[in-house]
Amino acid sequence: MHDIYNFVSGPLVWVSFVLFIGGCIYRLISMAALAKKKDPVVYDYMNLRYALRSIFHWIIPFRSENMKRHPVFTIVTFAFHICLILVPLFLFAHIILIKESWNISWWFLSDSTADVMTLIVVGSCIYFLVRRIVQPEVKFLTSPSDYLILAIVAAPFITGFWTYHQFAGHKVMGIIHILSGEIMLVAIPFTRLSHMIFFAFTRGYMGSEFGAIRHVKDW
Amino acid sequence: MKKKIWTLCSVFVAAVAVIVVTAYSQENVKSVQDSAFKTKMRPGAVFLHDEHNKKAEIDDCGTCHHVYKDGFKVEDETSEDRECSECHKIDGDPVPLVTKYHLRCKGCHEEKKAGPIMCSECHVR
Repeated sequence: MHDIYNFVSGPLVWVSFVLFIGGCIYRLISMAALAKKKDPVVYDYMNLRYALRSIFHWIIPFRSENMKRHPVFTIVTFAFHICLILVPLFLFAHIILIKESWNISWWFLSDSTADVMTLIVVGSCIYFLVRRIVQPEVKFLTSPSDYLILAIVAAPFITGFWTYHQFAGHKVMGIIHILSGEIMLVAIPFTRLSHMIFFAFTRGYMGSEFGAIRHVKDW
Repeated sequence: MKKKIWTLCSVFVAAVAVIVVTAYSQENVKSVQDSAFKTKMRPGAVFLHDEHNKKAEIDDCGTCHHVYKDGFKVEDETSEDRECSECHKIDGDPVPLVTKYHLRCKGCHEEKKAGPIMCSECHVR
């Protein structure tokens, strides 16, 4: 167990972070270059004020018309994203591991809070899954890779919950937990999860075009 | 008669003393506890003091129960009578003390390539 644990929690962490950060930078640069080549107007129309105005309206729950029309989806989406980002960054066990390795630490969530937030993430993933299967307009746009991405996102949380509560096979699950987190990190720049890095730009461009050119709201 | 009572009393006191001493001595330590941890995030790490030290071949109490003065380990002094938190103070944030414990246990296990290193291996529910 020592060797495999040290491998997944040592070199593989570095590999995944290099691919994650390097991948994000690569995707941003290559997308910027592609836009310059194929869609140069993006640069002409990009407007910081309208971009920020649009982003502001879309990162606050129920601030857009579309969110008001889909209240359940809005609540689930916001709860999901908040928990998804906060739990791994502020989990006590993660803080301790970072402290052990680099002697730095920061504020952490109580384990019971993190537990509930983990269940929110997993529950949201189930909701997204059902939505993809049941809702015709979403089903139409769904490809098999979407299910895979959903699994990649849910896996670290399911395995983390499993390991924390020490259900059967929790030692192996602990290893799978670390691995699944690394897979998710690497998947971010190279799959649809890249909306994490592109969100601000796509939203910002929409805001710019609608605000500066069409003079209408885009929320 | 008086002598008999005295003998009985002495035996009783001695018996109580033996029970109390064994109950609270290092011999019977089964898990790592420190009163400085007010809210426990996980159960105290399982630790059978004597069994562990026999298996790990640790004879020097100062390996864990060390005493440091001015950043240097005092060779002939040990600190079995004190809790780790008496020196490794907690000051509201448990993270540094937890880390001290982890590095003492897990750090050594990593070094020796023996013993538990994953969370759930020590903090058993």
